Amino acid sequence: MPKVLSAVACNLDANILAACLPLMEESRIEAIEWSFDALYKVKEVPAWFRELLTTFSNEKRLIGHGVFFSLFSGKWLPEQENWLKHLEQTAAEFQFDHITEHFGFMTGKDFHRGAPLNIPYTTATLNIGRDRLKRIYEACKRPVGLENLAFSYSLDEVKRHGAFLEQLLEPVNGFIILDLHNLYCQLQNFNISFDEMIALYPLDRVREIHISGGSWDDSAAAPDRSIRRDTHDDTVPPEVFQLLEMTIARCPHLKYVVLEQLGNGLVTEESKRCFYDDFLQMEEIVRKNSDENDADSSDPFLPLSSLLTGTAVEDMTLYQQQLELSAILESSASYTEAMHALRQSSLANSDWRIEQWEPYMIETAVKIAQKWKK
Amino acid sequence: MKLSKSLLSAILIGIAIQ
Repeated sequence: MPKVLSAVACNLDANILAACLPLMEESRIEAIEWSFDALYKVKEVPAWFRELLTTFSNEKRLIGHGVFFSLFSGKWLPEQENWLKHLEQTAAEFQFDHITEHFGFMTGKDFHRGAPLNIPYTTATLNIGRDRLKRIYEACKRPVGLENLAFSYSLDEVKRHGAFLEQLLEPVNGFIILDLHNLYCQLQNFNISFDEMIALYPLDRVREIHISGGSWDDSAAAPDRSIRRDTHDDTVPPEVFQLLEMTIARCPHLKYVVLEQLGNGLVTEESKRCFYDDFLQMEEIVRKNSDENDADSSDPFLPLSSLLTGTAVEDMTLYQQQLELSAILESSASYTEAMHALRQSSLANSDWRIEQWEPYMIETAVKIAQKWKK
Repeated sequence: MKLSKSLLSAILIGIAIQ
């Protein structure tokens, strides 16, 4: 394994930066991950933040993590075209070591609202995803990766996710961000063991690992259980550090381990202290598993041959189903209402396999969709 | 990674006005 870098998700957020500052003063942060598309409302990025990005960029220690691209939208959107142009400009200004995005399609009519939810794993969605990944590569000319999803509707989806990711990434020779809190959500919400789950992921494609915290949510659909949600608003639970210990040595091409927490979870001095402690605990695990003498600078995840992108791949039936699903999730007053609407929708008896969806995860999808449409 | 003192100071000021 090459030298692994301990990193933080660092965005233009006073609380995040204040939490990171003590670590920066001690020169502990070895790389930063920046959500380059999340500043769409900021007219001008402050010079000092640009200097921070440039400092890491000059050392090839800056990685970009997109939020809003909506990889699996069935329709090719003008906003996606603009997103790529923005990425191309940003990649010309900063030297990203790699670029990543989220798996899924975004609910919500507004490009900058909504949450990424799962899609059916079909030839049509595979072709759309591959097409979009090629376009991301063409825009940035850097290795491209995808993050495993925290949310699934069914155990069947959970078990097929790793293999589908591998198929998606193959043409661009891309990599996986293995988000261990996302994995933790799946383990908890579907009662699957770590050993069974990790065996379903192509760990030789993992170049980056995320760790973060989250929250528990009650469920009316399953009153006897709590739903684990990937809200990034709390400290890293011991179980996720344990997952890091169990996973890190199994990823031969791992280069970055990133601690993520949102600014709204870093308001108090106590929360900032916990963030510092979490980083030190992560750093120690990384140090134990990193080969400090292996400064391999090769890029094992660049495309192996030239990529051809013609007209954008689209599937308007899929797009209409995505709109229909978004509308149901965003407007249903309860999970029972959502389930009834789904059974009457064009998603019934289709590749979406809604008949397998767990009621408590439909309930969670309603909550997520309604949280982000505001 | 080591950051310059001037950058760390600029970040500190930036946080205050951010």
